[in-house]
Amino acid sequence: MATPWPDKDDHELLALVQEGSHPAFAELVRRHTERYYRLAFRYLQNREAAEDMVQDAFLKLWEDPHRWHADKNTKFTTWFYRVVVNLCLDLHKKKQPSELNEDMPIIDDRESADEAMQRKQQQIALEGAIAALPERQRTAINLCYDEGLSNQDAADVMAINLKALQSLVMRAKATLKERLKSYL
Amino acid sequence: MSDHRDEKLESLLHSRRVEAARLDLATRISLKAQTVPQIQNISLWQSLRQLFSELHLPKPGYVLASALVLGMVMGFNTTPDNSTIQDANYTTTQSMIPGDEGFL
Repeated sequence: MATPWPDKDDHELLALVQEGSHPAFAELVRRHTERYYRLAFRYLQNREAAEDMVQDAFLKLWEDPHRWHADKNTKFTTWFYRVVVNLCLDLHKKKQPSELNEDMPIIDDRESADEAMQRKQQQIALEGAIAALPERQRTAINLCYDEGLSNQDAADVMAINLKALQSLVMRAKATLKERLKSYL
Repeated sequence: MSDHRDEKLESLLHSRRVEAARLDLATRISLKAQTVPQIQNISLWQSLRQLFSELHLPKPGYVLASALVLGMVMGFNTTPDNSTIQDANYTTTQSMIPGDEGFL
């Protein structure tokens, strides 16, 4: 009996995508869209732009699946994080990311209106400060504070060792503390 | 003071908001991919086969076999020439001698 799609690992699915299997591609997309969307949103701060970015990344993979080499001894997820990061950085160079959407719904009902407003202002300031960081520091922050990615995973995405990653994060946080001191 | 600011910054970083994607994003991506052709890696042999089939050229083996058969047919149908070199020389010599000086 053939293995159901959800039970196939990423490498098996990619081998099938390389043979032109659309159902395998659809399973890969279903499995990973959310995580890459979240990363793209951190860079772009805009839902439509982040959705378009993730779509572009996956369509590039579909169009030329042989860009992925199974013998590289790298996890697909690590490699694809790199693809998404590079696309986001390229877009960021071309234009400034959108301002934080001030209409983004506030989820925490326990907060008072004043607290919610203050938190919103903090978020806007934080995202602005992160967007102004140098590329590598921004990437380190976006990856390390992404749920589901360990620091080692983040280092692998950036193709650096753990110590170098920690150094980038430390410098980023020093800059952020300085720029956000009125909020801290 | 510095520890407090560190903690506050950590808290801010961990509470970064991400606006949820639309629920059908994965479906839309899959559907869009159905309209995008894939670049297929093919070997030289496969590309030659494709070329022959697209241009409706006969396969190379058939071409060679046909040439061989054609050559044999032409060869069998040609009238054999039995003349020798000596005959060829005689004919040449005769043509050089004027008519009233032919062999006695």
